[in-house]
Amino acid sequence: MLPIVGYTNKLTVEPGETIDVMVGSFGAKNYRADFRQIIQGDTNPDGPGYKDKLIDLDLGGDRRALDKPFRPGSCVLIPGVHAIEEVRDFTLAAVVKPTLLDGRKRSILALPGFAEIGIDEHDRLTGVAGGQTLTSTMQVSVDHWHIVSLSYCADTKALSLAIAQDRDSTSEPPCPEVVTVSTDLSSGRPSECIIAASRDDDGELTGFLDGRIDRPAFFDTAIAPETLRNLLADFSLLRRQRSLLGAWDFSRKMTTRMICDVSPYQLHGHIHNAPTRAMTGWLWKGQELDWKLRPDLYSAIHFHSTDMYDAGWEVDFSLTIPDDLKSGVYTVRLVPDSDEEAAYYCVFAVRPPRDRASGNTVAFLFPTCSYLAYANHRLGMDVPGTEIGMGRAVELDRHHMFLQDNPGIGFSVYETHDDDTGVFHSSRLRPIVDMQPKVKSFLGGYGSNIWQFNADTHILGWLDAIDQDYDVITDEDMHEDGLRLLQRYNVILTGTHPEYYTRNMMEAMQGFTDRGGRLMYLGGNGFYWVVSFNEDMPGIMECRRSEAGIRPWEPGHGHFYHGFTGEYGGLWRRNGHPPNHLCGVGMTSQGFDVSEPYVVSPEAENPRAAFIFDGIEGTRIGDFGLAGGGAAGLEVDRADLAQGTPEHALVLATSTRHTDIYLMTPEDLLDPTPDWSGTQADIIRADLTFFETIGGGAVFSTGSIAWAGSMAWNGYDNEIARMTENVLRRFDDKTPFEYPQC
Amino acid sequence: MARYQITDDDLPFASEFLAEPIGYHSPGLQRVLNRMRGADWDFKYVLVVEERHSKWRLGKLPKQRGAKVEMVDGVVYTDLREAECDIFKRRWSDLTGQDLEALLPHSS
Ligand SMILES: [Fe+2]
Repeated sequence: MLPIVGYTNKLTVEPGETIDVMVGSFGAKNYRADFRQIIQGDTNPDGPGYKDKLIDLDLGGDRRALDKPFRPGSCVLIPGVHAIEEVRDFTLAAVVKPTLLDGRKRSILALPGFAEIGIDEHDRLTGVAGGQTLTSTMQVSVDHWHIVSLSYCADTKALSLAIAQDRDSTSEPPCPEVVTVSTDLSSGRPSECIIAASRDDDGELTGFLDGRIDRPAFFDTAIAPETLRNLLADFSLLRRQRSLLGAWDFSRKMTTRMICDVSPYQLHGHIHNAPTRAMTGWLWKGQELDWKLRPDLYSAIHFHSTDMYDAGWEVDFSLTIPDDLKSGVYTVRLVPDSDEEAAYYCVFAVRPPRDRASGNTVAFLFPTCSYLAYANHRLGMDVPGTEIGMGRAVELDRHHMFLQDNPGIGFSVYETHDDDTGVFHSSRLRPIVDMQPKVKSFLGGYGSNIWQFNADTHILGWLDAIDQDYDVITDEDMHEDGLRLLQRYNVILTGTHPEYYTRNMMEAMQGFTDRGGRLMYLGGNGFYWVVSFNEDMPGIMECRRSEAGIRPWEPGHGHFYHGFTGEYGGLWRRNGHPPNHLCGVGMTSQGFDVSEPYVVSPEAENPRAAFIFDGIEGTRIGDFGLAGGGAAGLEVDRADLAQGTPEHALVLATSTRHTDIYLMTPEDLLDPTPDWSGTQADIIRADLTFFETIGGGAVFSTGSIAWAGSMAWNGYDNEIARMTENVLRRFDDKTPFEYPQC
Repeated sequence: MARYQITDDDLPFASEFLAEPIGYHSPGLQRVLNRMRGADWDFKYVLVVEERHSKWRLGKLPKQRGAKVEMVDGVVYTDLREAECDIFKRRWSDLTGQDLEALLPHSS
């Protein structure tokens, strides 16, 4: 368990910049913070040994550790409703499709203290106003949209709750059930409107809905359900109603956090905890699959009680990065109650200054998008198949036990919400407990069994061991600064698993290699998924896994375009940027048990590749390592001309067998037959690939996540480390590579 | 419900597993492992890390997200292969009601 956790407000800072640290206690009474550079995070006794470096920077003495809760759950908040004068007659209405009914009370539309429509513990619709509670006989269903309303007429003293299930199966209009009581309600002046949640007596948000809501509206008169249905179906009609106080069209400003009121009152609001926008609404019947072409059909928001964008913890302290601190991966280490063993590491990158180059010619690309994609992932806990893929029992490290106890921390894009729909968003504005050194994982193979950040420290440790000066730049920096930043370097080294890329990042990297840059792709399954940032919500990333790819869920019909940008989600190979074109290889298979050596191919004899093999003997390389015992494994990529591998690319070495846990990716497995497995199919392999680019640049790709685990073998003294260094030395030499003439 | 049921016919695969629990397996053994490790379960045996790379305790992870991991009293491993073999025997017993040790007297 983790007695203390924390996070910073940024994952990349430059010297002179200030970074905030948020700390939450989960048992700790006090803590002390220090500042360290992370050199090598793997604690495997067969590895090179854990190494960090204390930086002399005073972060203050003992501090009290304060309990800070996770408050997941998304909704829409509309403040300023009190601007409307006294409300006496009213109608509250919405169209709703719940996606999880599990005996919890849920709110659909609330004017706290005045009126509310919700779902009770028995899946029945409830309407609450003036101390009266109305309950429908009909139960709501996860299979249908429902038109719901609560209205009051002072003349007749009728408080009515109406529900109509739109079954869409007959030509009959949905027949509403109406429950009415006679009551004398006094007028009120609600202060806010909340959609998909309500407030408890302490003012905290509660009653979060799992489900989709479309076109909620609020009127100053009682409207009969039959009339309401037609009004709600037509925004142009709706906004002309003189009784309209507010109607929220979620299809407007969909890429932002803004929620727009189409009534003249302009009671605009915003989303809270990033629910999913650009979701098919009540009137979507497959007419269009791209929300940009028919936003009116994408007028629903999918809310989840498990959504999490910003943990919102108060700042414990801030630190200013010293002006002379060299770029690198650093951590604010939080030591609870003097227990060093229980220390928590808030990891971030100190990038080089924005306004001037550091002079370093080598950069390590700290893959924050891929770290975010996996942030707090629960694959070994939530997905039964993980144990089959690992070929071993799941290990639960302390941070996994913390995740099990605290699902409110929010998910990675590998999880599903409690309603079984995919998690499209992951945010860095919360603790990311698996982005720490020392931590073990599920997918890292027999041996060290580490993944993403901690696995990438094998590369940082190697750079340290060979005394290489380097800058650390992050995905976010590359996304923002593009080639302006990348052009400072001769060589860029990736991490072990740079899987998630925005379009900006893809184009910047392609521009870099095209114009003479040298890319060392030291990983597997890289440049695979399309992800997007949101210009209105810093720190959150979207991934919709459309059509293909090895993936834990599908986005659902009509949901293949990202809400943040309108980009088509899914694989880069379906979006004009196949990884093979950028780096020569592309994802072909995965297995998380054991890894293999590469067998050197005749193409390695080509004089173009001589510098790579300098001092390397033998025909099998990398028959050792900390990630499954070989250099080729975990996730492996193949060269493939049909997928864009340049014709002149040299496949220098190839893994020639894998266990039968390694199977074919779905995008290539068009007709499943039982021969597509590691012991049978040639296509399941890692291809060590090299090619020159037209602009004098070059690319070296390992096509294997396990590669870095071999670099770190035997104290970085081995042929894989040697080959990597051979490549780095030549790549760091500005002499242009000659593009081979065909 | 998983279709494949483990029977005495699988005993050779049990011997194969106990001899080498990690790495390459025959198709028959892989099928046994798929049955044991697949989705058809109420809880999953997991290795709760006590000390990284050297000490693990056996736990039972319930299916329900967020449910408490139940620790199996007194079961501590200092070797991952040994842990795999022990979990294999436990699952054999859970699935067949039979004691694998008794069926394979020469196994470790
Ligand atoms: Fe991945």
